This record gives sequence, C-alpha cells and structure tokens, in this order.
Amino acid sequence: MTAKAPMNLRRLLIGSAVFRLALILYGEWQDAHMEVRYTDVDYLVFSDAASLMASGSSPYKRTTYRYSPLLAFLLLPNSVLHRSWGKFIFSASDLLVGYFIYKILKQRKVAEDLCLYSVMVWLLNPFTFTIGTRGNCEPIVCAMILWILICLMNGKIIQAAVWYGLVVHFRIYPIIYSLPIILVLNPRYIQLGNGMEASTRYNLWTAAKSMFSKERVLFGLVSGGIFFLCTGLFFHLYQWEFLNEALLYHLTRADPRHNFSVYFYHIYLQYGRQLSLVEKLISFLPQSIVQLVLISTFAQDLPFCFFLQTVAFVAFNKVITAQYFVWFFCLLPLILPWSDMKLKWEGLGCVGLWMGAQLHWLLWGYLLEFKGQNVFLQLWMASLVFLLANASVMAVFIRLQRFSPIFLQIKVSDSKSGVKSQ
Amino acid sequence: MIERLPSGVFADPFELDHLLHHGAYAAIGVFGDTNLELPSVSSNRSAVEIHMNFKHNTSSGAMSELGIRIDLPLHARYAPLHESGYSEVAFGTPDLLVSCSMEGSSEKRSCLIVPSSDSNRLRTDVVVWKIPCGIMSYTNVVSVVTFATALVSTLVIVLPSVLYSKPR
Repeated sequence: MTAKAPMNLRRLLIGSAVFRLALILYGEWQDAHMEVRYTDVDYLVFSDAASLMASGSSPYKRTTYRYSPLLAFLLLPNSVLHRSWGKFIFSASDLLVGYFIYKILKQRKVAEDLCLYSVMVWLLNPFTFTIGTRGNCEPIVCAMILWILICLMNGKIIQAAVWYGLVVHFRIYPIIYSLPIILVLNPRYIQLGNGMEASTRYNLWTAAKSMFSKERVLFGLVSGGIFFLCTGLFFHLYQWEFLNEALLYHLTRADPRHNFSVYFYHIYLQYGRQLSLVEKLISFLPQSIVQLVLISTFAQDLPFCFFLQTVAFVAFNKVITAQYFVWFFCLLPLILPWSDMKLKWEGLGCVGLWMGAQLHWLLWGYLLEFKGQNVFLQLWMASLVFLLANASVMAVFIRLQRFSPIFLQIKVSDSKSGVKSQ
Repeated sequence: MIERLPSGVFADPFELDHLLHHGAYAAIGVFGDTNLELPSVSSNRSAVEIHMNFKHNTSSGAMSELGIRIDLPLHARYAPLHESGYSEVAFGTPDLLVSCSMEGSSEKRSCLIVPSSDSNRLRTDVVVWKIPCGIMSYTNVVSVVTFATALVSTLVIVLPSVLYSKPR
C-alpha cells in the first residue's frame, strides 16, 4: 500500500499552470470556430492599443483604451510573437499571486495545510482562472498589491513605495490603501536604521515626530514621486489623451448603463441634468464614511483592512463590473486563517448570499439586454439587494475575524533594525 | 447595401470586423458616430455599408427570383426617458446597389435599385424597434431609495466595526 503523495505548493502551481495553458488553447479554438468569443473584449482593446504603439502611434487612438501605456507596452509582443502573449503574462501573474499568498501566510506562521487550502481558494476559483486566460489584466494588479504587502512585512519600505506608486498609476483604486499603509508604518512597529529611544513622555513633539516619521515621509515621497514621474512621462508622450483616458475618465466616470452599482438607475434618470453640490456630496458620503471607519479600526491588520476596504470600495462605487471582484478575491485567502467562520453554514451562507444576489441581478440583466423587456426597476432593486448582500457578508467577516496585526510592537531597548512582523 | 441607422441604434465596428473575418461579409464599414458607450441624447447617427457576393443560377432560362438575406447585428443606445417605458425607433429601407456579371461573359452590368413608392412592390414593412427606457416619474423615488439603501449598508458595516473588540 503506497502512501498518498501530499499536496504541496509545487504540484498545485504546476497543475494550475497546465490547466490555464489548456484554457488559453481552448480560448484560441473557440475564438476561431465560434461566433461567441472566449477572449474578453478588453483584451482585443489592449492588443489593438499595443499594435498602435508598436507602429509608433498613440495607444489612445484605440477607442475605449483607458489604461496606462505600460499595459500596451507589456503587450507589444502580441504583434510580434503571438496574439496570446498577453494571456500568458496575465495567467503567469495569476500563478504568482498564488505563490505570494503562500509566502505571506508562511511568513505569518500559518500551518502548511492551511496555507495550501488558502492558496487553493485563489487558484481553483473559477473566476480567477477564467479572468487571466480570457485576457483580463487584473491579475497583474493583484500580484503587485501582494508584493507590496510582502515588502512592507519585510521592512523594505522603499521597494514597497516604488511598487505602490506604480500600481496606483496603473489602476488608481489602490490609492485607498495609502492611509492604512501610512498608519501601519508606525515607528512603534517599524523603523529604519537604529531604533527609537523609548520615551515615557508623549507630547506634541513626540506625536509630530511619530506622525511624520522617517518611514512615513519616505514612503509618501517615493510612491508619490514614482506616480508623478509616470504621469509626467506619459503626459509628455501622449498629452491630454493620456490624462483624459487613463486618469480623469476613472475619477469622473458615471456610466448610465446598467451595471451592478446601486447608482446606475439614478445616474440614467438624472443624465444630462446638472447635479447640485449636495447631491454630489451625498453620493460620495457612504463610501468615505465606510473607508474611514474600516481604516481606523483595522489598519494594523493590513491584509484584513485591505480586504474590507476593497469589498466596500467596489460595492459603493458608481460603476461595478465583474472584473473588479478579483481585486478582493486575491486578498480573501490572506485573511481566512484568522477567521472563525465555519464553512457550514456561515461560509456557505456568505457564498450563497453573495452569488445568489449576483445571479438575481444577472437574470434581470438578461431580460433587459437580450429580451428587450423594460425591467429597469427590477434590475435596480436587484442592485440594491446586491449592495445589501455585500454589506452583510462584510459584517459577518468582521464579526468572526480574529484581529491579527502584521507587526508587533518593537522592543526598543535591544533592537537595531526596526522590523518585527508576525 | 447601405443601411442608414436611426438615432439610438448603432453597429459595433469591432464586432462586424470579427464577423468579417469569419466570412459573414465580403466587406463592411461603419460611418458616422461609432461611439459604443454614449446614450442616445449624446450621440449622432451612423450608417453601415455592407458588400456581399452572391451566385444565382439562371441556366434554365426562366425568370427566377433571388432571395438574399443579410444579418446585421445592431445595438440599442440608452434611449431618452419616456413614461411608457419604451422608446420606438423606426428603420428606413436600405439602399441597394447591385453589380452583376454573366458567367462566361466579360461584360459587367450595373444597376441601381431604388425602393419603389408602390407599397405592394416594396415587400417590406416598416421595422420598428421598441427599446426599453427609463421612466422619468420614478426619478425622485429611485434617488431617495438608492441613497437610503447606501446609508443602511453603511450602518451594516460601520456598527460591527465600531463594536469590534481587539484583543489586548
């Protein structure tokens, strides 16, 4: 009788890689033989933009290309090597996310089997493996976010800042992580160089020194510098087209077309009307309040804070598309080892509620889009249900999570280098 | 064939390009407003020119009819608000230009087919597309309930966060 070979990370990654390769090949076949493509429409947009860049033109000549020129640059081999080059890059990033999840959990002293189960939550998630193989670029962003976490956990503040500036340039939404990162770079927990002398006095001077510590100032300056450097460089190359399409569009986007957001019908009904300042502020308020409360409560448990912030950011956003979900799917495995949630029935209940609310919305969306029925009211109500479902799932996670800060307080008396992560 | 699309309807040039590569058409082009995202009130009209090749066997010598079917996928823009909940968009008759040649003959003959004003000969009905649209009278209720739900969801998240107890 032979012993069953234990699952290990290498097998998991290899198996996942083979499966993703098969999906990419299947996608090529479906695109060539069926009218309905496997490939995401966005991938065709990226590829066209990359072709334009390769021929010396602006990638923004491609209508609906609203990303950094870096993405088009990354996909230049699409025109030279093979049109699926980008899908391989995105799927490789997806596998890298799996590896980073394992690395983070191992560093936080999570047991091997729990690490692997958590990695499986990402790698075996059908949403995850289809998103990269269909040509969506979000896995790259997820990999960068997790790498930033790893850098912070290891005290590599400058490296974290460089990648943070880059990821905010690439996708903007990670700007919501700036405050918790700054908060977690508390000199009581993380220091560069020699340790701070312990002080029993806490006055305005020590408070100011703590608020504007070397670590915080360095992170802010470096990440801000990288962001403005990228923005300046691409503005120099592509002028206002870059600024409008890659930056301002995302900041001011209010799409009247139906999507998961509760605001879509309100925006459609108000389209063309100038909203008052009060109306604009009201729509901004729920998001702001939730973000500030989550940051002030959970910042020290950085992965959990990131997860909650991301779910809330997506749920309260003016536009929600399914690809945004992967932003928090990559963070979910990082918090599961500290959750008291049991699969039966809290876990399954959360999954059922969230999926059920989504499917309910999709049903009405199908009737509107493909059957031409006027179900705007029902679709809007479905989006209300979806927001409430997201909020409820977040509440369950909060209630059942064991607070687990990533840094312990440094023992100043015998510490030279300043990081002690847990 | 030139199909002049009414306001509120558009053809996706990228979708048509994909169909072109699958051999659905000999050639195709979209002219005018090709923005895929704007609602009807913010967009202009467009036209689609389709080229197709057909073979017709007239060896019997008898008069015969040639039936041609061309499928053109179209999309509706978000229509202006209307109390009925539907916006009606009427399609006109497309313009046809036929270039024909006889097998074995180098001579090509061209003719322009113009739709007859005689409705019996027209053999097409006016095509009307009923596109669902928003209803203006719902505006206040939708806004109030949207923001109320957002507020309730905020409380659902904020309360457990505030009551969350961290271990010392």
